[in-house]
Amino acid sequence: MKIAVCVKRVPDMDVRFRIAADSTSVDEAGLKFDINDFDAWAVEAALQLRDKNAGSEVTAISLGPDVVQETIRKALSMGVDKGVQLKADKVPFDGLAVAKALAEELKTGGYDLILFGKMSPDSSNGVVGAMVAELLGMPAVTAISSLEIADGKGKAKRELEGAQEFVEFPLPAVLTVDEGLNTARLPSLKGIMAAKKKPLEVKQAQIPQSQLTVRKLELPPERKAGRVVGEGASAVPELVKLLQTEAKVL
Amino acid sequence: MPDRAGKVLPVIHQAALPLDRLILSDPPDPEAVPMDVLFVGGGPAGLAGAIALARLIKADNEAGGDLGDVQIGVLEKSGALGEHSLSGAVVNPIAMRALFPELTDKDFPFRAPVAAERVYYMTDTRSVRIPTPPTMQNHGYQIASICEIVRWLGEKAEGLGVNIFTGFPAAALLTEGQRVTGVRTAPSGLSRNGDPGSGYAPPTDITAQITVLSEGTRGTLSQAYLEWQKIKSGNPQIFALGVKEIWETLKPLDAVVHTLGWPVPKDCFGGSFMYPLTRNLVALGLVVGLDYKRTSDDVHEMLQRMKLRTPFRDLLEAGEMTEWGAKTIPEGGYYALPERRHGDGVMIVGDAAGFVEVASLKGIHYAMQSGMFAARAAFNALKKKDTSAASLKEYDAMVDGSFIVKDLRKRRNMRLTFQDRNFYVAGLKAGLMTVTGGALFGGKIESHRDAEVPRDVSPPQPFVPDGKLTFSKLDAVFKSGNATRDDIPSHLIVGADITPQVADLYTHMCPAGVYERDGDRLVVSPANCVDCKATDVIGPRWTPREGGSGPKYRQM
Amino acid sequence: MANVFALVETRAGEVRKVGLEAVTAARMLADKFGGEVHALLLGPPGIAGKAAQLGQHGADVVAVVEHAALNNYNPEVAAATAAERIKSGGYRAAVFSTTAQGRDLAPRVAARLGASIVTDVLSFEVEGDVVVVRHPMNIGKVIATIAMSGTPAVIAMRPNVIAPAQNAKAGRVENVQPAVDPASTKVKVVETKQGSGGKLDLAEAPVVVAGGRGLKAAENFKLVEDLASAFGNAAVGATRAVTDDGWRPHSDQIGQTGRLVSPELYIAVGISGAVQHLAGMRTSKTIVAVNKDKDAPIFKVADYGIVGDVFEVIPALTEAVREAKKHH
Repeated sequence: MKIAVCVKRVPDMDVRFRIAADSTSVDEAGLKFDINDFDAWAVEAALQLRDKNAGSEVTAISLGPDVVQETIRKALSMGVDKGVQLKADKVPFDGLAVAKALAEELKTGGYDLILFGKMSPDSSNGVVGAMVAELLGMPAVTAISSLEIADGKGKAKRELEGAQEFVEFPLPAVLTVDEGLNTARLPSLKGIMAAKKKPLEVKQAQIPQSQLTVRKLELPPERKAGRVVGEGASAVPELVKLLQTEAKVL
Repeated sequence: MPDRAGKVLPVIHQAALPLDRLILSDPPDPEAVPMDVLFVGGGPAGLAGAIALARLIKADNEAGGDLGDVQIGVLEKSGALGEHSLSGAVVNPIAMRALFPELTDKDFPFRAPVAAERVYYMTDTRSVRIPTPPTMQNHGYQIASICEIVRWLGEKAEGLGVNIFTGFPAAALLTEGQRVTGVRTAPSGLSRNGDPGSGYAPPTDITAQITVLSEGTRGTLSQAYLEWQKIKSGNPQIFALGVKEIWETLKPLDAVVHTLGWPVPKDCFGGSFMYPLTRNLVALGLVVGLDYKRTSDDVHEMLQRMKLRTPFRDLLEAGEMTEWGAKTIPEGGYYALPERRHGDGVMIVGDAAGFVEVASLKGIHYAMQSGMFAARAAFNALKKKDTSAASLKEYDAMVDGSFIVKDLRKRRNMRLTFQDRNFYVAGLKAGLMTVTGGALFGGKIESHRDAEVPRDVSPPQPFVPDGKLTFSKLDAVFKSGNATRDDIPSHLIVGADITPQVADLYTHMCPAGVYERDGDRLVVSPANCVDCKATDVIGPRWTPREGGSGPKYRQM
Repeated sequence: MANVFALVETRAGEVRKVGLEAVTAARMLADKFGGEVHALLLGPPGIAGKAAQLGQHGADVVAVVEHAALNNYNPEVAAATAAERIKSGGYRAAVFSTTAQGRDLAPRVAARLGASIVTDVLSFEVEGDVVVVRHPMNIGKVIATIAMSGTPAVIAMRPNVIAPAQNAKAGRVENVQPAVDPASTKVKVVETKQGSGGKLDLAEAPVVVAGGRGLKAAENFKLVEDLASAFGNAAVGATRAVTDDGWRPHSDQIGQTGRLVSPELYIAVGISGAVQHLAGMRTSKTIVAVNKDKDAPIFKVADYGIVGDVFEVIPALTEAVREAKKHH
């Protein structure tokens, strides 16, 4: 089986962000970057399938400037076989532009499966995987939380709001991965060493013009400081009164 | 043997160093990852050593030497370089300049040169400016964040082909006879009872011709090596605990500030520091010797109280604390240096060896320089194909002949005079020692292990944090970036006979709130641990745990 | 002609609340453009009976695709049909919902149209030729203002930010054939299994009651469920710690990698307030926290807090809410 996984380098979200001077990007000083968690679960799914299907191969692809090679190397350290960097100065916000650049590379790969994380926490759109599938004319199942592949066909489960959807699909297909599908393996020391010797190809990305412009980024308004109404069950009447009269939610 | 009435003697409640787990004589796993030189700990000492070694090898190869491809590794327990690094810091740039002679001071990851300095003496009620004591003069030095220094060194190291492995704590030394042959890393993904859970990754063996222990303060494997080899020192190593915060302030700070006196009790050694990283980003902290005299002495709480007073309050008012952390500092100085810091296949560098000059609060340049000496000795050993103790002995000679030991020797009794219970007498002696360059009061002062100092059982002063200037330990740990999973198995070895008074000692000893007294029992929350090592010094033993656990310092 | 298309999400033959929100949003946009709202409704035979409420909420035209094979969502039928109608209808904008289905469908449609798309939209404005939307990034810690200059402007609204509004228009029903034969599609939804009976969904409920580790055991979630029932219009959520331990299903997890919710009222029971969790609920209009630890970080974001034992406070609160609801 030939499997491709698209991975994105994203900043650690556990920080207070600052808007850069140009007000259309986030200040990257002091930010730590790593592979998007959803993409790591996609890599894990790909590796598990490869390990079950002898003769299979997994390729990790990432769009962006040279720093994304760190992210590809992380995937290689987890066990991915080869990497491809689609070199671009910036990763566009527009999911369609990203999808077109990725589809250009993926279409000649002869992949049986193309995996994505369902979304990335920075741009938070969650559209690239499904758009790539449409551009390639391939069937797609998004946000899967369980997966079985056998005999050129697949079964997956999707979480809906208060329900679950059970889906069947043929290969080749595009899948986007949700939390709960698996736990991503940590790179082992051996894996880190081996990754240094695996092939990482650099190609120029074809980024089309976009119809989206980020006009500005801002921090959300600070929540007004709240207060502790009281202690124990005796505070309940006061709370209920405030919810009725002040917050007007009851 | 129980404590005397009204006292707690920490050492009788401490578990012994588990040598049988830390020094292994099994042959390494056939799947072991082979390195040539392995630095255990990715701080300034380990990284400077790795960089220096990589450069020596590169120059040698380019000149036609036959070393070829030498694998240099740096093992770091935190998830990313710098996450467990914490210091003041005001740095003497001498080692940085020696390591990068082709760069100038403005290329280095320092924040600002020291412009002005102020020292205050504080009492319960007043803060009085005093002339800067000679030991604390920092003219010509640079204010810096050790996290930023470490990250910068890390990039340089990776650029030179050094293999940096983050998230991999070394949990044991691999040995063959008397020789150190490598390390075994800690497993990850254990459930609370110690069984492999989901995401389990087993320990990995790494073999190396030379292992350099650059573990930092109270390094576990360094302690194990010294004990295993029965290496002595004139005095036992002693430690101080530093608790530090970073604040964004509305008012600017234009000077390096140190204070002596309150809130450090008169019978304790310590003082505070406050440095401007930028005009409105301030690093401040309090350092107190771990030989303090009461079970209720609590360095985190002392720091919180201190912030409510001049010269701190005014500056911090309406500001915001962005980070908090804690770390111990080896204070024994010259007489506490191990008599041998090398062996077959091994060298000990940096804080792990005790290269810290406490009167001036300096250790980073000593750490880097010692790493560079170890690199030179390792390079020579590889060329000679002899990595035995006899060959690596030149590392000790280089350190002994350098400014590292010269400086430590000059100030050899500074700290120890403060083991006197009288601050003023000690201060007088220390002053005379400095002024006479060690000629007066220069004879070795015997010192006691911190754990052998008895503490009076005393009730704590009630402390209620206001959540604006002062914070609880729980809030503080949150600001250290610690997100260790709640169900991690405990890495702390609690000793015997933990009475309620011992539980009180531990509660106040630990800045991160790992220990609490619940009724008469000791409750341990190991996930809160920020790896400061105070516990290892006077409380339950610290052992390496899953990689990536603990704090995530960013600008400490 | 600047008309606006709205995709109305259905499940098991019923129009979902987000569907009404989509029509309301489309109506607001169409009024700015001076055009009409044309809604698309897909479902099993009988779904046409639900068209009237869409007209009530502002749809001028309701295109209905009724087919026996459309009991479950069919991504290819929905994407092909919506794309074909949007293209042939020359719509200025197309409104979808940011739900599991919407996140699957909207980008497919946009790609087929060669159009850019913004999901999880908080609000929109029209400035001349440009549709300007606000969209949360970095787990809600940054808000982006984005100008969409293409036609159609494809957006997917965040649930619960537009309140469905009555605004009766013609709602003329047009029966439409699916653009592709449902039997021929490659991806087949073989079953949609409802979760434990009739629970209100987290994204739709005006009130969310969430439980964390402070409840100590899975069985104690009954406290949270009882409080939710007392409100009558509340959904039950959970923290990651609790879903990781298997006390509640993954789909209940509110947080950075789980569900993002912004109800009118969010009640955090026994939740310490890890950053990961706050990311999922910090845009709730009113936050109430109950925790025995007065230093718990949740109290920093809560509008109202009670420090106390959840096992004492929550039953008292449940009783008080029941009383309060009785008199309305």
